[in-house]
Amino acid sequence: MSDKDLKRPKSHLFDNPKNVTRVIRGLLLLCLVLVVLDAVIHRHTAHPWEKVFAFYPMYGFVACVTLVLLAKGLRKLVMRSDDYYGRFEEPPEDGPASRSDDV
Amino acid sequence: MSALDHLPILVVLIPLLTAVICPLFQNGRTAWKLALGAAWSSFAIACMLLHQVLNSGTVRYQLGGWEPPWGIEYRIDVLGGFVLLIVTSIAALVLSYARRSVEDEIRPGRISFFYAAFLLAFSGLAGITVTGDAFNLFVFLEISSLSSYALISAGRDRRSLNAAFQYLIMGSIGATFILIGIGFLYMMTGTLNMDDLAVRLPEVADTRTVRAGFAFLTVGFGLKLALFPLHLWLPNAYAYAPSVVTAFLAATATKVAVYALLRFLLGIFGVGFSLMSMPFDMILIGLGLAGILSASLVAVFQQNVKRMLAYSSVAQIGYIALGIGLASHTGISAAVMHLFNHALMKGALFMSLGAVAYRVGAMHISDFAGLGRRMPFTMAAIAIAGLSLIGIPGTAGFISKWFLVLGTLEQGWWPLAVLILLGSFLALIYVGRILEAAYFGTPKENSAVREAPLSMLIPIWILVIANVYFGLNTELTVGLATQATTDLFEALP
Amino acid sequence: MMFNFAPVLPLLIGAFFAALTRGRVRALLMLATPVVGAVLLYTFTPGTTVPVEWMGLELTPVRVDRLSLLFGYLFHLAAFLGVIYSLHLKDTLQLVASLAYAACAVGAVFAGDLLTLFLYWEALAVTSAALVFARRSERAFAAGLRYLLIQVLSGVLLLAGAIAWAKGGHGLEFGHIGTGSIAGKLIFVAFGIKAGFPLLHNWLTDAYPEATPSGTVFLSAFTTKVAIYSLARGFGGTEMLVYIGAAMACFPIFYAVIANDLRRVLAYSLINQLGFMVVGIGIGTELAINGAVAHAFNDVLFKGLLMMSMGAVLHVTGEMRGSELGGLYKRMPKTAILCMVGAASISAFPLFNGFVSKSMIVTAVLEEGYEWVWLALLFAAAGVFHHAGIKIPFFAFFSHDSKHVKQAHEPPTNMLVAMTIAAALCIGIGCFPGTLYRLLPYPTGYSPYDSSHVLAQMQLLAFSALAFLSLKIYKIYPPELRSVNLDAEWIYRRLVPNAFRHALAAVGRVGNQVRSHSFRLVSSSILALARHHRSEGVLARSWPTGSMVLWVAVLLGTTLLLYYL
Repeated sequence: MSDKDLKRPKSHLFDNPKNVTRVIRGLLLLCLVLVVLDAVIHRHTAHPWEKVFAFYPMYGFVACVTLVLLAKGLRKLVMRSDDYYGRFEEPPEDGPASRSDDV
Repeated sequence: MSALDHLPILVVLIPLLTAVICPLFQNGRTAWKLALGAAWSSFAIACMLLHQVLNSGTVRYQLGGWEPPWGIEYRIDVLGGFVLLIVTSIAALVLSYARRSVEDEIRPGRISFFYAAFLLAFSGLAGITVTGDAFNLFVFLEISSLSSYALISAGRDRRSLNAAFQYLIMGSIGATFILIGIGFLYMMTGTLNMDDLAVRLPEVADTRTVRAGFAFLTVGFGLKLALFPLHLWLPNAYAYAPSVVTAFLAATATKVAVYALLRFLLGIFGVGFSLMSMPFDMILIGLGLAGILSASLVAVFQQNVKRMLAYSSVAQIGYIALGIGLASHTGISAAVMHLFNHALMKGALFMSLGAVAYRVGAMHISDFAGLGRRMPFTMAAIAIAGLSLIGIPGTAGFISKWFLVLGTLEQGWWPLAVLILLGSFLALIYVGRILEAAYFGTPKENSAVREAPLSMLIPIWILVIANVYFGLNTELTVGLATQATTDLFEALP
Repeated sequence: MMFNFAPVLPLLIGAFFAALTRGRVRALLMLATPVVGAVLLYTFTPGTTVPVEWMGLELTPVRVDRLSLLFGYLFHLAAFLGVIYSLHLKDTLQLVASLAYAACAVGAVFAGDLLTLFLYWEALAVTSAALVFARRSERAFAAGLRYLLIQVLSGVLLLAGAIAWAKGGHGLEFGHIGTGSIAGKLIFVAFGIKAGFPLLHNWLTDAYPEATPSGTVFLSAFTTKVAIYSLARGFGGTEMLVYIGAAMACFPIFYAVIANDLRRVLAYSLINQLGFMVVGIGIGTELAINGAVAHAFNDVLFKGLLMMSMGAVLHVTGEMRGSELGGLYKRMPKTAILCMVGAASISAFPLFNGFVSKSMIVTAVLEEGYEWVWLALLFAAAGVFHHAGIKIPFFAFFSHDSKHVKQAHEPPTNMLVAMTIAAALCIGIGCFPGTLYRLLPYPTGYSPYDSSHVLAQMQLLAFSALAFLSLKIYKIYPPELRSVNLDAEWIYRRLVPNAFRHALAAVGRVGNQVRSHSFRLVSSSILALARHHRSEGVLARSWPTGSMVLWVAVLLGTTLLLYYL
């Protein structure tokens, strides 16, 4: 991928919106297949909750949404401006941070 | 009898006789060579003696073949051998270092006499550690004291005369007290032999005479070892004496006085009497603590570096007194270890100061500015020995402080441990002041200060390396100190 | 005598020579060092101890058993990868500090007694702080100081605990300790600081993002793993650890979602991974301990890989804030792919190494019936994928194109080589877990690959990704913002200083008076002290002989009185 890309600078993988859509669709398909497999494969379970149909998919989804919503709320509580603890001389923003690294 | 059997007397006799010969040579260089030879041979003998003591127990030697208790007996146990090793090794190193410094600080015509006095002081100190006779001990104490008055007065600074005079007065009072004390003991027991005294004393321990003798002895030795508040002669004596003398006396004289005190406390009176039934332990702890804190504080504010370290010596003696005052095996071992370790660090420090005096000529803290670059080896020596003085792990100073803290914790007196650490903290400050000046101060312009000559640096660095070596390898010091203490405890019921 | 310090020696000697040599010679030496060290470890037999007596203490500088050997190999491996990664550096301070740091970590895991452990523990603090200072910015300096302070505090607690433990008659041997005694509690907190327990974790998220690119790679491998090792040895089966671990696994992921500095995100996710290990140690069954130790092993690999990839980005662009990065896959495709391997590993995708160890811990949790903890760990597992698995690669390499895309390029070859080896190991262990299992302290018949496990994990991960996708599409996902997020460090960086200031200000004029009075009191007492102790003070001046003699008389009188009483 890389060599070709470097020669034709504008055609990167995700510059083409179609590719993004493909990825999204792929993921949706995967999710669907996994839920269906839940019904097909007999899983041996150690805990009653695991027997609930599509327990893991639901838990994963709900957990992540909760996580993000809570984190957004947390931001209201704990977010401060960049120089809250005092201003520091910033490492150079552009170009390689070679000063520290290649001394 | 072979020559080997005469070692106990030889270790004293060699420097004593050399001292007599020295003034015959007008040439200071020859006198120095003689003194050096005498010191190193005494050191060799001390090593052999210690070896003998460790292998076959206490060495006894009857002077002139007279049986004790009539004749004078020389008697070397582990403690005596250990302190003798300290004295002879420091003397040998200081003398190796002395030539340039003495030529610089002493008037040419008097150099031979100077070495003679030095050897006298040395033989007196060595004698104290080998003798088993109370009166003989007093005699040696006087020999060493009288010659050290002369040594101190040889200093360049005119104030040294005054300092020596004060030391003379105080030292004489101390010696008189000791003599009175010994006299009282003799009155009650009729013997001067230490072993004999130890056997006969318990019968008469409850008499007022013995108690008065004990008081005179403790105060007398307190003066000699510069126990706070009897230390007032010491700072000036150390500050204005010639560098070589300061290095030698600081590393040995007070140590030997501590040895003599220990010998009387534990070897003659016994722990039960001196530290249990008499309240001397509390006196030692109280005065020791006061010494540690007060003298360290004074050192923090001092501007003259030599005086600063002299006060630090008073503080270090406070640690030793504290260790003895704990009256436990650990405490006394810590005190004995500190004898050795303090000799190592103060020897190195004062010898380095002598090197600075040789090159710079002055001792004010501002004179040290920028010396870190001008005299890197000397200042590095001061830095390492200073770390040892503070008690940083990995140096000799840490070991004795560690055991001292252990000793206080053993008794459950943790506030004492905290105060000891506070003392270390104060040491950190005053050592830090020297190092700050040396490494961060800007040197005076147009000064052409160079590194000290090699003949000074080598002895200094031997001591510095010893500071680190004995901080890592504790077998010798800890082993000897604990064995010496065990012997002292077991010698008497 | 040589053998006493033998496991430490190769790395220590390497560090020594790294200070003396330069250029290609140094590169070769530094590469050879961990290899020689690892070969030396191979010659050790488990069960060996080397007792040494020092100052009357019975010490065991070296104790070899299966647990310490595993960590020994791990640290040599980590040092090897780190050395390759930093081959392009010329900064002697960093190179020496990293090898010395690795040496201390190795020393710590082979320490058989608490005193030796303490020595290495403090040495770890100092050598690792050097890696923060080596960034040589004002910010890094401040963070490094805070870091050092807390690390040293941990050491002091350990020493206090060790002394109390020895006083309690247990000797100095470092075996199971437990939280029953005061000593145990002190040591527990000391370990807890280094392991990043909640509220004690701030040094990690504060300092790791400020270190140099390769410095952070080393940092993430050693300090916390030494803590995990120590916890496993001293506090296996302590139930409190299960709950502490669960909290550690959960709370950092919230911060990770909103943190902007991507290496800070990784620091939070490091705590989260440590949480899993701590839970495993807390449960204390053979399976759980095996899981915790295996997870520590894997974490060094995948967290190292992620740190390396972020370090590469920092090295190339000089930027680490998610809000300022993006689109780099166009110029750094190899780095992007390697980063995604690390992301897949930390998220515990089947066939990647995170899966084979994390599932051990989760299984053990369920076996022992901690169902709420199990739920919390599932939540944490989903969250890991969310912030470390998706957020890191997404914001660094994809997302919107940043201004850095134009100048960006692949990092130096040595960085790519180090990352490739780490990635290969991640996949290798993921596919053949038996190799790792053989090294674990207890024999295990565990097999991670059965259909239930794989399916459950895939479902969890796929739907986490789905959640990310939908939140992103509906624009609910919080954007990356330049910001600082308050954490427990706020207590000592803001609350305490401010409270002090406010308390003084609030009392107002009265306060002012009190203050000036107290200042006057303090200064006057200092002055008094100085007056008595400075050169001409009463305690320091040269006294006339008469008064000296007076003192003698006083003392003689007092002693006589005391003796007669």
